[in-house]
Parts: sequence; structure tokens; C-alpha cells
Amino acid sequence: MKKTILFFVLLILTGVTLLSINDNVKSRFSLINKTNDLNDLSVLDVLLELGETKPNHYLMKTNQDSVRMGYEMVHFGQLKDKSNSRISKFFVCTDCHNQKKEVANLLKETPSERVKYGMVNDLPFLPASTFFGMYNKTHWYNGDYAKKYGNLVIPTRDSLDNAIQLCATQCSQGRELKEWEIRTIIHYYKSIEISVKDLNLNQSELNQLLTDLASHNNRSVELLKSKYNSINEATFGEIEPKQPDNYIPNLKVGEYIFKNGCMHCHSMGKNITNFEFDAENLTFSFLVSKLKKHNNYSVPYIVRKGTYAINGRKQYMPQYPLEKMSDTQLFDLINYIKSKK
Amino acid sequence: MKKISLIIVMFTLLATTAQEKIWNTFEGTRVLNNHSTEMLYKKDLEFRIEHKFGDLAGSNGGLKNFFGFDNLADVRFAFEYGATTNFDVGLGRSKGVNQQTEVIDGYVKYRFLQQEKKGVPVSLTVVSSMALPYRKASTDSTSSAYYQTPIERLIFTNQVIVARKVSDRLSLQLNVGYHHRNLVAANDVNGMLFTGGVIRYRFTQTFGVLTEYNHVWNRVSGNNQKNPLSFGVELITGGHNFTLVLSNGKALNENLFLSNTTSDWLKGQWRIGFSINRRFKL
Repeated sequence: MKKTILFFVLLILTGVTLLSINDNVKSRFSLINKTNDLNDLSVLDVLLELGETKPNHYLMKTNQDSVRMGYEMVHFGQLKDKSNSRISKFFVCTDCHNQKKEVANLLKETPSERVKYGMVNDLPFLPASTFFGMYNKTHWYNGDYAKKYGNLVIPTRDSLDNAIQLCATQCSQGRELKEWEIRTIIHYYKSIEISVKDLNLNQSELNQLLTDLASHNNRSVELLKSKYNSINEATFGEIEPKQPDNYIPNLKVGEYIFKNGCMHCHSMGKNITNFEFDAENLTFSFLVSKLKKHNNYSVPYIVRKGTYAINGRKQYMPQYPLEKMSDTQLFDLINYIKSKK
Repeated sequence: MKKISLIIVMFTLLATTAQEKIWNTFEGTRVLNNHSTEMLYKKDLEFRIEHKFGDLAGSNGGLKNFFGFDNLADVRFAFEYGATTNFDVGLGRSKGVNQQTEVIDGYVKYRFLQQEKKGVPVSLTVVSSMALPYRKASTDSTSSAYYQTPIERLIFTNQVIVARKVSDRLSLQLNVGYHHRNLVAANDVNGMLFTGGVIRYRFTQTFGVLTEYNHVWNRVSGNNQKNPLSFGVELITGGHNFTLVLSNGKALNENLFLSNTTSDWLKGQWRIGFSINRRFKL
């Protein structure tokens, strides 16, 4: 008898909880009646409201404490109160990943757009994808990353949790993350997910979205998805790239890549890499003298091939895929280095 | 007292005004034998192996012992650690020279100033080191190893080091210090004041030449102590660097080479040495 009562009490409690959650979601959207109000909404929440399926890493809402912890893990490699151990003694996430939008138009995450937007906003020019909007991606470690990490990428392709774990253990050569640590990082990702305002929708698109939300019409799903890039492809380039036809060197781009890309990790005092340098004559002379070599000091070689973690030297350099630095930009970098010799 | 306060305030002001800092005045924490103003990064551990061979020329050198390679003047292994960005500690063990053998040494080093692009003109560090020869005490009462108490074994060197990276090729360093041995031979002094100088010139990003000289001002005339003079080349490979030394000093630690250098350059009593270090992140 007692068991039956307990069962019914649990059943009622579960039902009440589910209803309250559903009401909570509905109440957020039922208040939206102006296009201006749409802008602050998360794109993923709007997609879910329009009938899309929840991703594995979906969080209903962020917890501010978890966001803070995720932020600290990403920026400092551990919690600031040092209650957990460092993820990696070699790298922190920000060595390779920006935390901000890298392009004006989220659909065009191209190398040229990255440089254009990065130069205006003085952003680091990094080999890995920005964490801004990482929460909105659907696949990770795509394309040629399989060449670098082999079968390890398979479980990461459809799971952000697994992608974070691979990044911790392989990319940063650190330890395995605990479940709660991955959760805090995802909370942080959610805090920098894509909002409707980031999609730069015009007024008629906003009106359509407003109407579709009210009528639960999934017509706007395609519209939203056509406004941002949900997969970051990765194609590894050649170590001896061919100079593009009709190429004209752009030394400003080369300077930006050198200062905001190379120097982001290699500048002295940062202790990120074993090979530190400054923007002085000796550095440029050295880099020019190695341009034709096939070794780690050769700019085209290291940009395209990177290095690999080996026993005794775990620190390594990730390569820039063609989607992050084009061959034209690589030639701009080389020409800038030559011009400073 | 007021003057001291003023100096402290000036140092603090200089150190706290954020400017672009100058790095790599020297490639490592040592120049050739002595310390440089460079510090290890926080949580970096450096393992050092230093070695000096026998006389290259002169009566103890030449082809018969293959220019000193058959002999060992001194060898030192050391672990050094960057406790903070501006504070290093180190512990080493060397064979030692003359009467001071089987030596354990340790040091603490603090960087008070770091050269800046537009601001502080020099880097300034203070190094305090101590050595303890743990060999069996000599029974010869005239020996500097006639130890009666453990305290007599201790040797101290404290020095202030100032360096400036003049350009990306040229770096200069000056050091002033006081070296003290608790027990010395009858015809020697316990305390020595010394001044040193270093010139580093880089030909390329990975290759440079170095000169290091230390002059002791109050040596007792009549004993055969000499001032250590060294020349060297450095090869930098990233992660570790290799230094090749040519020196009249046999010892590898400042607690020994300042007062135990007896070889004379002019008599061909100079030797080849090398040091290699490897850094690890902890």
C-alpha cells in the first residue's frame, strides 16, 4: 500500500516538474511579440521552439557559477581557487581558440573574412575555431583532423562533450576532464552561443521569424540555419604551397598574421612554446634563412604541417588548416617576414 | 633610513609601471660559469649538466691526454626551479676542485628589475648562493679543508647582477659581490670582493659568442690564485641550449671558481668545457 502511495506521489511530482519546465519555456516565447525582443534570444532556443531536436549537449539555461568556472577552466586551465588541478601544464584553451566572434557574417567563416574582421577588432589570428558559437556547432574535429588524430576523432564528431575531452587530452596534452568540468565548460560555451542578433536578420526576416514562432511554423528553421556555419571544415594544405595566380603581396595582412598569429604564442615571456622570438632583425633573418627547409623552423612547413607531441616534448604546434589561413595569406606572411629582414 | 625608503619606493615605482618587457638578455640563467640576470619561467624546472676537461695545452695538456679530454677538471649536475616569475631556487652537486671537493651547492635568486622597452633601462637580480664541501676533513692543519666543525665547510657568495640588452645582438652585464669562505689557508683571506663583466654578441638567432671575466680585488699577493676568464659560444635549439666554454677556471660554481682558480692563461692552462640544459614544465 505504502509503495503504491509513494509511486503516485512520485508520478505527480514528475508531472508537475515537467509541466513547470514546459511552461517556463513557453512563457519565454509567449512574451515575444516584437521583433526587437527576438534579438536577445538564443538561436538554439528559437530552433527548438520551431521544432528542431535538442543536441546532446543542450542546456536549458546557464548557471552563472558554472559559467564562471567554465570561463576559468578555459582561460586559466583550472579554477582560480585552485580546487582542481591544471588541465594541462603546456597550454590553456585561449592559446589556440578565440572567445569572440571572428567574422562579421557568421556564415562566411573564411580566412579572408577572419583577417578582415580580426584586423579591425585586433583579434588573435589562431589556428583553431573560436569558442564563440561552438555551442551551436553540430560536428567537431571535421575533415583532415582525422589525419592528425586518427580514430580518436570518431567519437567527437557528433558529441561536444567528447570533443572537449579530446581537446584536453590530445590538443592540450593534458589530463582527462571530469564530467562536472566538461559541464562547466559547456555552460561557458552557452554563455557565448549565437543569438538572433548575431545573424544580422533584416526586418522582413525578423517579421517572418516572429510569425513562425507564434504559429509554430518550422519554415524559419532553414532561414536561421542559412545564416551561420554549423560545421567548421578542416583541410590541411601543402608544405610547399604554390603561389596563387596574379598574386600581389599584402604586407599589412602579413604583419597582422605575424603579430597576432605567430607572436600570440611565440613571443618572449609567454612560455607557451620552446621556440620564442621577438619582432627584431635577427628573428626575421633566421626565418628567411629557413624558408626553403623542410623542418620546424620553416614557416610554410610549420604552418601547414605543425608539429606532433612526442615523449619528452609534449608541447606542439597545431597547423593552420586552409579554412583558417589561406595560401594567399601564407604568402603574405612570408613576404612580410622577407620585407623585415 | 629615509634614503633606504626612497630607494625602495623608486624601485617599486619602476617595477610597477607596466611597460613592454625585454626578454632573453641572455639565453639561460648562466652566462658561462656565473649567473646571468635571466630567470626561469614560473613552474619551469631546469636540469643542467656542466663539465670541464683538463688543461688544453701546457705541461698537463697536449696530445698525450688529447688536449685535456682524458682528464676531468670538474663536473656539476643541478636542478633549478622557477618558484615564481621573479624567484628561482637551485640545488647542485659538483666534484669540486683543489681542496674543496664533493660539493653540494644551492642558491636563491630574485629579480628586482626587468629591463623594459621604454622604462626600466636594466635588469637587476640578486643571487645568494652557498656551497658545502662534504669530503672527509683533511688532517693537514695548514689545509683549507682542515675542517673542525661543519660550519667551517661553508662557502658563501652574494652578488648583485645588472644587465642590459643593448640591441637584439648585443647584451652587457656587470656583477658586484662578496665571496666568503669560513675556513681558508693561513696565507689567504676569508672574504673577497669581486666585480665581473660579461659581453654577449649574437651572430644569428641560434648562435652567439660570450666573454665572462671576474676580478677579485683583495687577493693576497703571493698565493697562486688567478682571476677566471672565459670565452664561449652558445648554440640554441629550443627547449635547451648548449654552451661551449674555454676557460682558465676549473670549477663550475661561483663558490669555487672565484677563489679556487689557479690556472694561468699565459701558461696554456685553459680548458674546454660545456654546459647543456633542458627545461621541463611542472
